Amino acid sequence: MTVLKQLKAFAKTDRTALVNQEQQLSYRELDELSDTFARWLLDTLGKDRSPLVICGDKEIGFLPCIFGALKSGRAYVPLDSVLPDERAAQIVADVAPKVMVDFTGRKLACGARILNPAALENIFAAPKPISSGDWIKDGDPAYILFTSGSTGRPKGVPITAGNLDAFCRGLLPFYPEEGGVVLHQVSYSFDVSGCAVYAGICRGMTLFTVDHQLAADLGACFAALEKSGLTLWVSTPSFAELCVQSGRLEEGLLPQLRQFLFCGEVLTHSLCDTLSERFPKARILNTYGPTEATVLVTAAEITGKMRHSSRPLPIGKAIEGVTLRLEQNGREITKEEETGELLILGPTVGPGYFGRPDLTEKAFFTDPKTGLRGYRTGDLCYRQNGLYYYCGRADNQLKLNGYRIELEDIEANLQKLPNIRRAAVVPVRNGEGIAEYLAAFLLLREPDGLTPLKRAIALKKQAAALLPPYMIPRRLMAVESFPLNVSGKIDKKALAARLEETP
Amino acid sequence: MEQKIAEIIAEICGAGAEEIEPELQLFEEGLLDSFAAIQLVLALEAAFGVSLDMAGLPRERIATPAAIAELIRERRE
Repeated sequence: MTVLKQLKAFAKTDRTALVNQEQQLSYRELDELSDTFARWLLDTLGKDRSPLVICGDKEIGFLPCIFGALKSGRAYVPLDSVLPDERAAQIVADVAPKVMVDFTGRKLACGARILNPAALENIFAAPKPISSGDWIKDGDPAYILFTSGSTGRPKGVPITAGNLDAFCRGLLPFYPEEGGVVLHQVSYSFDVSGCAVYAGICRGMTLFTVDHQLAADLGACFAALEKSGLTLWVSTPSFAELCVQSGRLEEGLLPQLRQFLFCGEVLTHSLCDTLSERFPKARILNTYGPTEATVLVTAAEITGKMRHSSRPLPIGKAIEGVTLRLEQNGREITKEEETGELLILGPTVGPGYFGRPDLTEKAFFTDPKTGLRGYRTGDLCYRQNGLYYYCGRADNQLKLNGYRIELEDIEANLQKLPNIRRAAVVPVRNGEGIAEYLAAFLLLREPDGLTPLKRAIALKKQAAALLPPYMIPRRLMAVESFPLNVSGKIDKKALAARLEETP
Repeated sequence: MEQKIAEIIAEICGAGAEEIEPELQLFEEGLLDSFAAIQLVLALEAAFGVSLDMAGLPRERIATPAAIAELIRERRE
């Protein structure tokens, strides 16, 4: 696997791999710690290659555990510390790990041996080598990420070592030659973090950590960034939107910054205008890709001409190695400006869904013409002058602040709460059509005698046991009944319209 | 001013303004997350014509409607 080879190569230098506040890891230390952990996994588990679950935020030991899992020939499953226990438990039950690293101290009932930070330190303390013959093979899953599933149960997306190598080959032409400092803010459980973890390490970059606590306190975050020497910004547009609300995010704070890389949701003109004004030396790269086809498959450098055009910003061209196709009702679209479902073909397309052959068969395929592995994204796009433009989801899935969310997942979980009979969740969009927040309309089992505010507070607390914070609707409103559309389904358009009328 | 603040908060978290009491803990009660907090700060800036630099603003300063009122008074001086 390329990233492991590159890690070994940079371990011979005195480069810094990871910075987290006062803590640092050099490439040499990262390589040694991951060797040691890989050796421990092999000594402890023998021939077993079941995935390693790692639960945490961005603790300094997280990255050595990731590379340790890969060097011991197994996949890892990252679980973010903000995930509620019940959802984490569902994932752990599906994965059935033998070992779980837990930085959070949460008590998850499972059959795995749990390593807390102290136990991990003990393992790290006795350096041991490992042979590259034990490393993960091309076709083996390197990680399994769990995303929102429409039944209310998270669904796992495995991505192989070969997929990640192909992703790095496609993305690295857009990276600086060697070195530099890359923003490491995206959660390990969200694949955009691969722009730092895989592509960044391949180029010998320093990963500059912004964890949950720092991201929630912009004052402290900017104070840290000021000393970072950051050269490459990687985040969702939402995180950047949050940061530009403060005038402090400008060239003076990050004088070395030369590039923004955005992924995970729609990039707006207003954000690009602000950034190019405040960072005239930095270029802006917009990218697009589903988890199922490894982080990102298109890229576009946003030019001044694109910024001044009234057209949405393009997601760009396929990265090297990737083939894109547009289809409508099973027929390929070749005409410009005609909208169709985007199909991705090539070496970044993953093997399918974890333990769900039914779902895999619906979305993944092997192209009879080319023999390439393909994935139907469910995303609608069109092409103009060789560039692709994104125009939304074909189904009920949406992106909110960079998180991929299925509304049915939230509804299914809200309906598990004791006094909720039926829930309908709708996104509330801004003038540009981008989802800003979620609103839930709720049919109660029995009157609760609470005022709207008291009810919202009580329900949010209950929902927090089942859903991560980004999936809990901002507004929760009880209704007497639901409006229905012609097919007898809850009329979500009518519900959304109520919000526009009564703010 | 307190009434206007209550209206802004009520609009963001979907409640009646009459329910927004001065000591209501907006973050602790789960009514505001960081994205909602930005919306709140922008709405306050627009309504009262003050500048509240989000990055330099400790969360305690907007933790309750009473704290917000104090902050606005201070920034107006």
